[in-house]
Amino acid sequence: MKSSYLRAGAALACAVALSACGGSDGQLLLGGTISGITKTGLVLTNNGGSDYAVPVPANPGGVSEFYFPDLISTDDRYSVAVKTLPSNVSECRIENASGRAAYHVYTIYITCDLKRHALGGNVGNLQGELVLVNGADRVTLQPGATSFKFAEIPEDSPYTVAVLTQPAGQTCTVSNGNGTMGTGDVNNVAVTCTP
Amino acid sequence: MKSSLIRPALALALVAGLAGCGGSDKAEFAVKGTITGIVYPGAVLTTNGMDLAIAPAAKPGDPVTFEFPNKLEYGDVYNVQFKSTPQHQAACGTPANTIANYTDTAGRLAEINITLTCAVDDYPISGTVTGLTGTGLVIANGSTGNSGAIALPTTPTTTPIPYSLPIEVPYGASYSVAVITQPTGQFCTVANATGEMRDGAVSNVNITCVAR
Repeated sequence: MKSSYLRAGAALACAVALSACGGSDGQLLLGGTISGITKTGLVLTNNGGSDYAVPVPANPGGVSEFYFPDLISTDDRYSVAVKTLPSNVSECRIENASGRAAYHVYTIYITCDLKRHALGGNVGNLQGELVLVNGADRVTLQPGATSFKFAEIPEDSPYTVAVLTQPAGQTCTVSNGNGTMGTGDVNNVAVTCTP
Repeated sequence: MKSSLIRPALALALVAGLAGCGGSDKAEFAVKGTITGIVYPGAVLTTNGMDLAIAPAAKPGDPVTFEFPNKLEYGDVYNVQFKSTPQHQAACGTPANTIANYTDTAGRLAEINITLTCAVDDYPISGTVTGLTGTGLVIANGSTGNSGAIALPTTPTTTPIPYSLPIEVPYGASYSVAVITQPTGQFCTVANATGEMRDGAVSNVNITCVAR
């Protein structure tokens, strides 16, 4: 009777001790560097599970280190994949996505590309040379031009189209020049010039 | 007799041997290297009493190689400095994450190969906001991440609130500051919003807000 209690107790202690070493209770970090994340929505998985929603980095470039909250153990195989993308990202590429852990894994590099959309519009009655700018991006229009295009800009980025140099003898004004890039091209920036 | 012939012969051999070590065969080292990022003219490098003018590459900013006219001898110390930096490019020196090699002793390494870089001067854009009473004002300069939210002062004030944009603008670049999000219940306009950066900070991009 007494020994059977002892045995059961020992078995229980054993089970508790073993479960403490189980699956997600490793000692090693699994992570690396991520760039191009400006809003929430990126979810990573390891071996098809351990969903991890990557927080948005504080800096404007969206660069930070990331680590799965679940630790892994020596000799564990890992395979990191992207489950969902933020809505403004077209693609994320993963370098060194899989391997076998010998020590902490810091070597997973994830690079995400933001979706880019066209920024442009129309000009009316231009008779001289006009220089339009969107910040540091510059477009020079020749007399008679009817449309213009700036470099494509990332989704959710602001844009501020303005006149840098007016054509000789004319004054051009910009409407719909400022805003935030949505999910499609912006083609409605309108420039009209005085006769 | 015999010895008198040997002596001149030995002396001759010695002279011939010494001549073999003469000046022309001394190791010489050209002071040369590469500068990246030069966009404007005006750079002059100097070392060991020599000056060397550096012009920008055909495509401004591309690497430019340089070599001083006179070579140095083994053991000469060189220290290549900018006597003048290019126009609008005051910041010249060793590139980031690189070990400085503009000064050393000729002959310590087989070849002298100095790496330098210059950056175009950046200046801040700033101004004041007058009459702001609503929350949510966001301004931007183009699409390069150069946007800033302007917070309301903690205590109401009629004094203009100073602000500056987070990213400085390089000399020669255009800027166009505009309101991206108007504050609640107000409409703000920007004065002196567009221009091209010159040699100095822009501090007159002033914003005035009125009730809508």
